[in-house]
Amino acid sequence: MSILKSLSKYKEIAKINFKNSFVYIWDSLIGKSAFIALIIFIFSQIWITIFALKAVNTIEGFTLSMMVWYIVIAEAIVTSLGRIMITIGEEIKSGEIANYLNKPYNYVLYKYALTIGRGLFAFLLTFIVAGIVAYLTVGLPVIKLYIIPFVLVICFLAITLNYILMSIFGLFAFWIEETSGLYFIYQKFVFTVGGMLVPLEIFPLWLAKIGLILPFSYIAYHPAKLFVMFDFIYFIKILVIQLAWIVVFLSISLFIYAKISKKVSINGG
Amino acid sequence: MNKEKIVISINDLNKTFKTKVSEPGLRGGLKNIFNPKYKLIKAVNNISFDVREGELVSFIGPNGAGKSTTLKMLSGILHPDSGTIKVNNLNPQKEPQKLSYKIGTIFGQKPQLWFHLPPIDSFNLFSKIYDLDQKEFKKRLEYLIDRFEIGEYINQPVRKLSLGQRMRCEFVLSLIHNPKILFLDEPTIGMDIIVKKNIRELIKKINDEEKVTVILTSHDMGDIESIADRVIVINHGTIVYDDSFDNLKKNYVKKKIIKMVTENEIKKINTKEIKIIEKTKYSIEFEINTKKLSIHTVIDYLVKENKVKDISIKEPPIEEIIEEIYRREEIQ
Repeated sequence: MSILKSLSKYKEIAKINFKNSFVYIWDSLIGKSAFIALIIFIFSQIWITIFALKAVNTIEGFTLSMMVWYIVIAEAIVTSLGRIMITIGEEIKSGEIANYLNKPYNYVLYKYALTIGRGLFAFLLTFIVAGIVAYLTVGLPVIKLYIIPFVLVICFLAITLNYILMSIFGLFAFWIEETSGLYFIYQKFVFTVGGMLVPLEIFPLWLAKIGLILPFSYIAYHPAKLFVMFDFIYFIKILVIQLAWIVVFLSISLFIYAKISKKVSINGG
Repeated sequence: MNKEKIVISINDLNKTFKTKVSEPGLRGGLKNIFNPKYKLIKAVNNISFDVREGELVSFIGPNGAGKSTTLKMLSGILHPDSGTIKVNNLNPQKEPQKLSYKIGTIFGQKPQLWFHLPPIDSFNLFSKIYDLDQKEFKKRLEYLIDRFEIGEYINQPVRKLSLGQRMRCEFVLSLIHNPKILFLDEPTIGMDIIVKKNIRELIKKINDEEKVTVILTSHDMGDIESIADRVIVINHGTIVYDDSFDNLKKNYVKKKIIKMVTENEIKKINTKEIKIIEKTKYSIEFEINTKKLSIHTVIDYLVKENKVKDISIKEPPIEEIIEEIYRREEIQ
């Protein structure tokens, strides 16, 4: 009962921020989407050229259409949360985090609910915009419609895992004071060994192997690959490992937060 | 109501902040990395007081005196270095979540309403956050909407409301879970005279009718003048005065500042009882000692002698009252 109640609390927080996101819909559409559309366009042109030069139908098992739609999904997941790590870092540095301490919720989960509300909105928006560009360059993806709900579950968990990892590095601001450097490094990890820019198969074998072990690939690579090469066993495998990573890192994040919240100091007049 | 019940009790509270001191220049920056220097700021120094149920306490002092720090320790946001705090029989540091159901907070600089959404959305959200029974919540909300007269605009986005309307909604939001104690940190900061008056009336009403214990901080004497029963003056982290407002006024507030703008050229005022702060051809600002000269007499005189365009009476700044308190203590 009490777990259900507290779930409904966080659901409500997510809902209100989802609603709040509509206020910025034009900002998002014009700014962010234009940028993502451009990225997808550039990548699709690169892949079209590479496939033409090599005169092959597949590269490492991916067709041209798969390659482009892979990036659509990976981009939509990774860009959906924005700079939440820096936001958390700044709230710790400025002491604003203290204002959350006397509310009946947990800061890490509260921020998650807020972020996921906006994140799901951003994910859908990016998917639509990037999807249109992909459609215009390589046509519709070759997938069966029934896989969509399964892929959505994996995308949702991917966004969740991304948030949790970023929350941990954001909380580090308590000790290191500046998180923008960490954010930069984190992002590059997701871009490369996470497989956001290209599928891991493109990398040298040893690097691909490392990428497969690290949690970052469960944010971008696996969900995107599942979309273009759906397989039920593969779905279950990703699901289980994603959930395991979520449990591990959420525990770490909550533990760090519990440590910090006892030591918060802010200046007051 | 049981006036004797103590709801807040703090004893020998201390809080020191440690801030990094950075030296200028590259050398200073490098030195800082290997040998960081810290400056200790004693924000709260050994303070103790009790608050009874239903009291309205004003916590006043200049900027940086330790008011907000104390309030933040009371509401479980900050941890004291030493001393004990009990709020509604709970330790705010050990059980901040449990306490959160019993207290409401308004921090003047930090609105809790969702800026782009209508207030009703925020109300609904808080009902979930505080695990309210939805039926009870509807009833409570209806009552508060009626009491605070906000029915007309609860469906408009907050950004389209005036500051006064927004503050009304902030108050409703902070009262939605029926808190026993309300902490208000600078609730009137940055507001014009009319909104301030409105807010003060609201606070009085909450205290009278809702039977909520209210602790508010302010550095504006006007706030205290119009609402407080009891005043605690804090300076450099120490309590320098803790008694009724009437006593404070009787003993320490002996001055008023009058500012007048006229259509005619102001003549010389021939009395030693006033101290001119600033005078131009058409305006004058001066201080009067209310023990020697009643406001009534002064205003009567001014209005008779001048074509008054605008006139205002201000309280002396809080710093002067504190000075007066210190002076008295030295004499004693």
